[in-house]
Amino acid sequence: MNTELLPVDLIRTLSMLLVITSVATVEIRRLRLSAVAYSIQALIIVALLASFAPGNPALYLWAGTALVTKAILTPYFLFRGIGSGDDRELKPLIGFGPSVLVAVLLMLGFYHLTHTHVALLAPSELAQQELFRTNLAVASTVFALGLYAVLTRRDAIKTVIGLCLLENGVHLSLVSLAPGLPETALFGVASEVVVTVYLLLYVIGGVRREFGTTDTFALRELHW
Amino acid sequence: MTADPAVVTSSLPVLAFLLPLAAGAVVLLGRRFGRVLAQAMTLVTAVAVLGIGAAMVVRVVAHQVLVAWGNELRVDGLSALLVVVIGGIGVLASLYSVRYVDRPATPERVGETIAPHRLPVFYGLLLWFLATMLFGCVTNNIVMLYVAVEATTLTSGLLVAFYWDRRALEAGYKYLMLLTIGITFALFGCVLVYAAGAATGKLEGGQALLLSEVRGVVGLIPSGTALIAVAFLIVGFGTKAGIAPFHPWLPDAHAEAPTPVSVLLSGVMIKMAVYALVRTVSIFYPTWPELALFAVGLGTFTMVLGVVLALAQDDLKRLLAYSSVSQMGYVLAGVGLGTYLGCYGGLFHLLNHAVFKSLLFMAVGALIYSTGRRRISELGGLARRMPITSACFFIGAVAISGLPPLSGFMSKLTVFLALARSGMWWAAAVAVVVGLLTTVVLMRAASAVFWGQPAGQGAVGDSVREVPPSMWVPMVILAVACVVLGVVPQVAYPLLDRAAVVLATLGR
Repeated sequence: MNTELLPVDLIRTLSMLLVITSVATVEIRRLRLSAVAYSIQALIIVALLASFAPGNPALYLWAGTALVTKAILTPYFLFRGIGSGDDRELKPLIGFGPSVLVAVLLMLGFYHLTHTHVALLAPSELAQQELFRTNLAVASTVFALGLYAVLTRRDAIKTVIGLCLLENGVHLSLVSLAPGLPETALFGVASEVVVTVYLLLYVIGGVRREFGTTDTFALRELHW
Repeated sequence: MTADPAVVTSSLPVLAFLLPLAAGAVVLLGRRFGRVLAQAMTLVTAVAVLGIGAAMVVRVVAHQVLVAWGNELRVDGLSALLVVVIGGIGVLASLYSVRYVDRPATPERVGETIAPHRLPVFYGLLLWFLATMLFGCVTNNIVMLYVAVEATTLTSGLLVAFYWDRRALEAGYKYLMLLTIGITFALFGCVLVYAAGAATGKLEGGQALLLSEVRGVVGLIPSGTALIAVAFLIVGFGTKAGIAPFHPWLPDAHAEAPTPVSVLLSGVMIKMAVYALVRTVSIFYPTWPELALFAVGLGTFTMVLGVVLALAQDDLKRLLAYSSVSQMGYVLAGVGLGTYLGCYGGLFHLLNHAVFKSLLFMAVGALIYSTGRRRISELGGLARRMPITSACFFIGAVAISGLPPLSGFMSKLTVFLALARSGMWWAAAVAVVVGLLTTVVLMRAASAVFWGQPAGQGAVGDSVREVPPSMWVPMVILAVACVVLGVVPQVAYPLLDRAAVVLATLGR
């Protein structure tokens, strides 16, 4: 990859916006607004991939794939799953104040950890350059925030949104870790996320009809 | 030492997964033709896959490795073993489903039937489920291996939730959510292996994606990176394989799915995940042999936890599901050793578990079909009314308990010997104790259900009859296989030998 062609300042700004939109997606308690924050993040990812593309033209295709799968299809399924009724998220395990604190700590911790010990994660010379270190640090932060949302949110739809964040983190990391990944593999990885979201929301629709709620705490038919 | 096998270009690896993929599409698109087309297509396709698997076995036993699409698809002894298991269990599960599929599983819904338009969806997804598992077993591309494993979750997710009642929906949600999160770690692991392989500078372009090529440069990967990659792979593929402590999705999904799907989940899918685990992690063994101790420890923990939780179950399907967790511990402890004997024992147990666990799930499915019940406390005295089912269940129970002369005895004995020979006496002792506990769990269930008196409310009546031939024939075939693999274990030797050689990186 030719790194001299990359718009460094733009990439840094987009990376920072990615972290901010992740925290917003996790902490906003209106599901529709949370989905909007996620959609904005998806568009930022598309822009970020396009920004890296001058150094590696294959990333234009990645950006196109992300546009279709992350910025169009996934938000469409999310908004359809949320529906037009009350979109208040069910009360999560952690209150708003402590949750923001945890999210910020996770953000700082993971960013610092990955940025400092990037050689462990990325043995290639490319990935250890500053821009790609930052990209990996942002990717792991988004991943951690997604995992945090999945583990602490009671609302099934919010857990799906958390899962989307988690997957965004993985895909971002591919820019640094696997820039030469063939299109077929990339398409396989990206399309599976969309199908997962669709299937999960389809099953959650059934849960809502049978249980009258999307509260995962209500799913107690099966005990160990 | 034997010479390296001959690499031969073949269309068999392509056919193995494209055939069920295409058949699934035909079934889903031709929904208006109804259940007959769907069931016939599924059965014929599964038989064809079994035939392809048998042809692969003949070739790998003749010391060949089959490749296609360059080196993207690659079938060695290990892949052929999995393909033939998927094909064989696929045929029997398809036949079993012909009469079973439209009976809902819960006692509250006995007498209800599944809407006819949903049956082609069931069979279409079943075929795609087989196709994704088969693709995972023939691909040589580490990222596509992840794609295949995740695809098995997606194609089977709606099958788990097929009955669409409260229990099935809960199981389906947990299944899709937990496995997707878990398998994401495997993606990280796969990408790390690829990135680290490419960074060695010894592999050109896409070659770093090929497992057969990365194997040769793994010694050049920094130890820190390798450790993180292995950890991610174990969490990711281990979740899918039902390895403790990543197993909580398994009892819900395996118990609430329609029984033919339970057969495929417990009998085949978790094996394919173990395949993905050992296929990727084993490449690190020559450089980091300490991994063997960790794998055996994890396997031992899994077998203990699984059997302890199985002891507490009243629901027969959940009991079998927890028992699957326990038995996967034996497989992991065997192949995790990295020695030839360990890998042989682990893979032999993988094969045997596919056979007797499919048999046991089918027998429990037969009970559900005939009585509408699946709790031990609600069943009793069925030996006279369901003689074939009771005999088959008993044979499966003896086999899984590791009692001579049936199949489980030989594979467990091989694992015990392999552990002892590697100096891991503690693991061998634990494995023996778990074997005894498995005997208690299964024999207690068998005696209560077939010879005991029902204690709970709503006990079954006198109208109970044996299941139709399309259900008992697959059971009898599997029961015969339990006997044959136990009494004449050398029938499986040529294939198991070729499969074990692939994984055995730490000597005999």
